Amino acid sequence: MIEVEGLNARVGEFELRDVSFAVPDGKYGVVIGAAGSGKTTLLETIAGIIPLTSGAVRLSGSDMAGVSPERRNAGIVYQHGYLFPHLSVQDNVRYGAIDVAYADAVAARLGASELYAREVRGLSGGERQLVAIARALAPQPRVLLLDEPFSALDPRRRTLVRRAVRQIAHERWITVLQVTHDFTEAGLLGDVAILIDQGRVLQHGPPEQLFREPASPYVAEFLGAENVFAGEVRYLSDAAPDFLEGAEELLAGGHHAIEFVSGGLTLYTVGDAPPGAGHAVIRAEEVLVSTAPMSSSARNQFSGVVSEVATTGALTRVTVDVSSGAAGVIAPRVPIVASLTTRSAQELALREGSEVWASFKAMAVHLC
Amino acid sequence: MRKAHRAASVIAAFCGSIFLLFLVAPIARLIGAGGVDGLRHLTTDGELRNALALTALTATSATALAILGGTPLAYLLERRHFRGRALVAALIDLPLLVPHPVAGIALLLVLGRQSLVGGTLLDLGIRVVGSPIGIVCAMLFVSAPLYVSATREAFARVDTRYEAVARSLGDPAWRAFRRVTLPLSARGLIAAGVVAWARAVSEFGAIVILTYNPKVASVLSYDRFTSFGLDEALPVAAVLALLAFVPLFALRGLRASRSGAMMLQ
Repeated sequence: MIEVEGLNARVGEFELRDVSFAVPDGKYGVVIGAAGSGKTTLLETIAGIIPLTSGAVRLSGSDMAGVSPERRNAGIVYQHGYLFPHLSVQDNVRYGAIDVAYADAVAARLGASELYAREVRGLSGGERQLVAIARALAPQPRVLLLDEPFSALDPRRRTLVRRAVRQIAHERWITVLQVTHDFTEAGLLGDVAILIDQGRVLQHGPPEQLFREPASPYVAEFLGAENVFAGEVRYLSDAAPDFLEGAEELLAGGHHAIEFVSGGLTLYTVGDAPPGAGHAVIRAEEVLVSTAPMSSSARNQFSGVVSEVATTGALTRVTVDVSSGAAGVIAPRVPIVASLTTRSAQELALREGSEVWASFKAMAVHLC
Repeated sequence: MRKAHRAASVIAAFCGSIFLLFLVAPIARLIGAGGVDGLRHLTTDGELRNALALTALTATSATALAILGGTPLAYLLERRHFRGRALVAALIDLPLLVPHPVAGIALLLVLGRQSLVGGTLLDLGIRVVGSPIGIVCAMLFVSAPLYVSATREAFARVDTRYEAVARSLGDPAWRAFRRVTLPLSARGLIAAGVVAWARAVSEFGAIVILTYNPKVASVLSYDRFTSFGLDEALPVAAVLALLAFVPLFALRGLRASRSGAMMLQ
């Protein structure tokens, strides 16, 4: 288990401030944050390389205060590998190994043993990362700290290595904390996600929760939410409008039927946000696009015009300029981004200027 | 614009050539005038041979001491952030700024017979002034700052994350230093040693005050010049100048192997 409580650490002018989170034993934590937000410093502080000024780091229940890096049993892998250039690839892998056979077996599972005959200086960035991961796993650590360890691998190998690391960690009950910029990777790997910015933790919890219920508009935008609207939260006088059918439990739990007004857009949702200024977040994959009004339970339905269609492989991002202004009132149009499968977008024959409907369920609107 | 650029290049090349000539011409003239004679003297001139042997021995001893004391100090200055670090770094450079005869006088005050240290050592049967030990002290005083400076630079070139990785793999600090930092900085450390040795061999000002006799090569050339004139001093001086090529080629070799290694990276 990795427990960080009220951690403060300083490197030059940069500071980690009051950082707290926990990754349970054998689980996979991911740290997400912009460049320079303190992700690597956090890993180095947990590894004991950077001293903390206050707070506590506990690994598998033991307080690490005064414990030197070599006695923490925490392996660290940097983005650039930092393979020892004066040693062979094999000697790098076996550097800290307790059991050479185990080290070689781990290297074989990751595909690093194929590189044993090569010179370290001749390895590509991705190959260096493979060897560095094998080297960190060889001493059988109880904690593994990974700083963007798959960034230089090609997509096919990245998937394989990611899976292998996840499996080894699961088999050996290793608690992993990985820094990544890749939200997909965070979602795929993480049991716990920690979002860090300027040395502070903005939010932590299951990745699904971070993506669906961001704590602030900044978090939402950082995590790639395309539809973030500033506006006003108003409680509806009708305590149980039609769009809350099946959500009685929520209402009983202190939630309210809410009308959210943002410029020319009025959204309906349910939540516990206080009335007044706020933000609404709708993830693009929650937005449906159709060429005719939908007769589904989606309460929020707007007609609009497609202003952009951007295909990125299997997915297509469609921007629909919508308005919910009353008849006869010219309201400013608001762009809503939807993420569709490219096949769906082709079937709908979407192109710039197409007249469509964008809709999403009341429960897809998150207020923060 | 291009014409102005070309004119500036021509002026820079001319000035550079004059400067290079100023640096190389005296040495070339010296070796040309006394080089062959100097090499011949090596077979016939016992005093010259003894002076060269003493120079090599004392310079090597001073370099060994600089390595022993200077390496840990350079490592601490480069890797550890402690109060007064800048002051310590400045103090180490101080001998470089003091005129060498002044350095000799300062050493005489500390190591001379009348001093506490020199007197105590003499009571223990160890004579510093007027002995090879005095020569080693003078050489160490002037060459150690160069060694520490070059060694710091060598350690600075080794990213601290190599050590961090070694520590995370179970190495205590000392073992990480021995297994990772030392091999990765080896070329730089050898170069620092060569620079210190060359500086020690070329020292005169401090040595002549602390230990005139027995004579090292630099003192012998001075002695021959003041006692017998230029003709007698020339062979000795030329041999010393030729000796300077040993560290020069050693450094060039180290640089070539480093750039070769870097090209492979």
